[in-house]
Amino acid sequence: MPDNAPVPVQKWVSIVHKLKTMVGAVVAVTLLAGCGAGAASPQPSGSSSAAGASGDTLVVYTNSNGEGRGEWLTKKAADAGFKIEIVGAGGADATNKLIAEKNNPIADVAFGLNNMYFAQVKAAGAIEAYEPAWAGEVDASLADSDEDKAYWPLVKQAILLGYNSDKITPEQAPKDWTDLWSKDEFKTRYERVTGLGTATAQLVFAGILSRYKDNSGDLGISDEGWKQVEQYFQNGSPAVAKTDLFARIASGEVDMGQMPSSIVAEREKSFKVNVETVVPSVGVPLAVEQVALVKGTDKKEQAQKFIDWFGSADVQGEWAQQFNSMPVNKSAAAKAKPEVVKFFDGLKQQDIDWNFVQENMGSWVEKIELEYMT
Amino acid sequence: MSGTPAKSMLRSPFIIIVGTVLTWFIAAFLVWPNANVLIETFFPDGNFSGRAAEKLFSSQRAMKSLGNSFLLAVALSITVNVVGIFIVLVTHYFRIRGSKILFLGYATTFIYGGIVLAAGYKFIYGDKGIVTAFLLNVFPGMDPGWFSGFFAVLAVMTFATTTNHMLFVANALKGVDYQTIEAARNLGASTWTILRRIVLPMLKPTLFAVTILSFLTGLGALSAPQVLGGRDFQTITPMILTFTNSPTSRDLAALLAVILGVATILMLAVMSRLEKGGTYFSVSKVSSALQKQKITNPAANIAVHAAAYLLFAVYTLPVVLIVLFSFADGAAIQTGQISPGSLTFDNYVRVLTQPSGLRPFAISVAYSALAAVIAVGGLLFVARILQKHKNWVTAMFEYLLHIPWILPSALLALGLIISYDHPNPLVGGAVLTGTTVILLIAFVTVKIPFTLRMLKASFASVNSSLEEAATIMGAKTLYVFRRILLPLVLPAAAAIAALNFNSMLDDYDTAIFLAHPLVQPLGLVIKANTDGAEGVDGVSNTFVYTVLLMVITGLTMYLVYGRSGARPGRRRGPKGGKRGGPAAESRAVPATSPAVVADTKASAPSPVP
Repeated sequence: MPDNAPVPVQKWVSIVHKLKTMVGAVVAVTLLAGCGAGAASPQPSGSSSAAGASGDTLVVYTNSNGEGRGEWLTKKAADAGFKIEIVGAGGADATNKLIAEKNNPIADVAFGLNNMYFAQVKAAGAIEAYEPAWAGEVDASLADSDEDKAYWPLVKQAILLGYNSDKITPEQAPKDWTDLWSKDEFKTRYERVTGLGTATAQLVFAGILSRYKDNSGDLGISDEGWKQVEQYFQNGSPAVAKTDLFARIASGEVDMGQMPSSIVAEREKSFKVNVETVVPSVGVPLAVEQVALVKGTDKKEQAQKFIDWFGSADVQGEWAQQFNSMPVNKSAAAKAKPEVVKFFDGLKQQDIDWNFVQENMGSWVEKIELEYMT
Repeated sequence: MSGTPAKSMLRSPFIIIVGTVLTWFIAAFLVWPNANVLIETFFPDGNFSGRAAEKLFSSQRAMKSLGNSFLLAVALSITVNVVGIFIVLVTHYFRIRGSKILFLGYATTFIYGGIVLAAGYKFIYGDKGIVTAFLLNVFPGMDPGWFSGFFAVLAVMTFATTTNHMLFVANALKGVDYQTIEAARNLGASTWTILRRIVLPMLKPTLFAVTILSFLTGLGALSAPQVLGGRDFQTITPMILTFTNSPTSRDLAALLAVILGVATILMLAVMSRLEKGGTYFSVSKVSSALQKQKITNPAANIAVHAAAYLLFAVYTLPVVLIVLFSFADGAAIQTGQISPGSLTFDNYVRVLTQPSGLRPFAISVAYSALAAVIAVGGLLFVARILQKHKNWVTAMFEYLLHIPWILPSALLALGLIISYDHPNPLVGGAVLTGTTVILLIAFVTVKIPFTLRMLKASFASVNSSLEEAATIMGAKTLYVFRRILLPLVLPAAAAIAALNFNSMLDDYDTAIFLAHPLVQPLGLVIKANTDGAEGVDGVSNTFVYTVLLMVITGLTMYLVYGRSGARPGRRRGPKGGKRGGPAAESRAVPATSPAVVADTKASAPSPVP
């Protein structure tokens, strides 16, 4: 019946033609994407072992792939004979992914997560114990604190309170986090976080709350401790999404805030500000990035070799040289940047009971998000 | 057309086949994974705990944020309709000078959104923004931080989310029968009366559908409140995301998501009820295409022109600045200071010369295109059946298909992982984790509710007499579907597919959990290059990726919608008003371009309750 209408049918044909072109293009792109995967092209379905789908490539999960780290490592590993594929994700995402996949793991190795995250992964049974060849070259107290050590330290990161040193002299500067809300001159001048999703923010609170450990208090913290948290959020200038603390310091909106040690030098240069850091008398919290073997990988031997290679003094030294990090490996420290080594030499580490922190961090974050954040 | 008993549906083999496939899909990918993740969340040790509700309801912040989200949802449902209908009218209904240019300006929301859009508005109206600097010159005493809080969030989100109006309401407007308007005018009706009593009632199914979407957008607001909400106007989504990421608090995230989901479903129910009983298709025997209306009152004409061009400026300025700032360095972007000499191609060189190169773009384009085509293609049949047969079975299916609106995508992804990391009979004993299909399944699933709503709305404006005529003349179900119905809804389907495609290009939340390690889509690469305490390069990379995505999505919109939309534009010109020749007069002819569709489904207003 509709066939007796010439004009629209032609249009219909032309649309069909257009659609065909589009579908053709989609198919072409799909094929292209498929070919790109190379010989190790994954089977869409039916492959019972997920890890097997990636052939001889080691799948490495990390939250430490930004700013060129992933590409650098992939290339270095290839030179050393390891074919690796980096899967980057934020610390919390990588942790959740490792835990969710524990029944049928896709990753072979994970690194970059700090001890808090790896403790969760281990508790879920997603990584297995392994003693790397370089175990003797690192301070074992920074590794997994259990007998069967499943994660091992690579890089140290200090979680600092930094202030604008063009505006504030060391004498005027706060001496500790608690000064921020107890002294009037700082109350409006520090940036406070608006969420506790990041590792840095969680470590700041680990540093503050563990000073107020009290077994009879709520979640192991005394009322005085919770009062500090309350004060932290009642004062301060809330962080602004997609605006770096250094940008806000540069524009004079705030003068101080939390920062991990590795970013300070680079941000100072980019935003043309000078920042000094506070070392409270109790010391500063250290985040230690770790590496671990994923439980249930079918490339166990190769994954272990990769860990042995990656944590070795040579590779860690080059990594430190390249990305301004502070290696835990004692022999690698010689190759790190002198100013970084010097900074860490003079740094007092805060004594934190990490088992206590790991047990409670989830509940602390929840309580802070629900009760104290405004 | 309503009220087919459920039993009689079983007589059609077409319905049985579609129903079987649909039942399997819903069971395997909507109900089973999400039930798993909810059970694991709420019954961690096999016992239900009321902990989540207790914690949430005693938290002042949670309650306030939740309240803000609802306030935003309700306010947005109103403001987006006001602005959206206005821009549709000035581009498609009234004769406005330069309406094509205006259209392009309003269409900028098709191609970008999220955090960069909010940042774009902040460049202009924020405390260091251009407009604020100008206003401070005029009114020295004013507060430079005037553009923040509820008002700022509502304004930005209103202007950012009129996309659905521009696509779907404009499309529906083309279906209004011009003869009815002429007749009303001859009877002395004013421009306003014609609009209110004839034009708007015809647009109802589409308006209901886009209102639900606006409501949902408001409930899920994330980046605009983060950038512009300030201390007093934060919404619930950031909290949901934080709790989703923390295994010990996931029950709180799930509960919050369920609260929002239930609100969405209630909204859906209200809208479905309002929609019931109306007739939204042509009942006239001879109808003609819409002609643009002149606004006769000179004062009103000037006011509408002024408002239209002011809105044009509001829409286009952020885009211009985002493109400009994508050439500046990260420090300049964050401090809002820019000088012509500081603009370079460095950002683009850095992003495009990464070792991964264009591969992530190709992967994302392929995934998004496949998912968009599968979702729209599959749901064309489903939407038709749900729209035609209204009984308890179809109602149940319809609500089940909205499950993806209830849970945040990270939870949907976790559900798929825990359900398919071992051989599962629901998918023929296959293991899906670690394969390339699982992400495709997630993409298709996530897009089902939106696709279904919009397709149903466009089927609602198809005149059922066309189908009846064809059936009486012996056409088979599939033939009728292919030759009569499909051409009529094709423009809307293409627009839906394009929007689906665009929205999945930079997906991170799903891909992070489900992507195959060797086939990583763009969202993961963007995240790696833009995250990390918002470093210097990170922020400029965000802008570069936004501009690159604008190019891709702009191209998609042009390919799918722009070209087919341009032809009727010419036809509807001053001369096009006379009906389109003999072909357009044979009523029961399948039409393909919107102009012909307009002819076919044009209508007289029937009394709407």
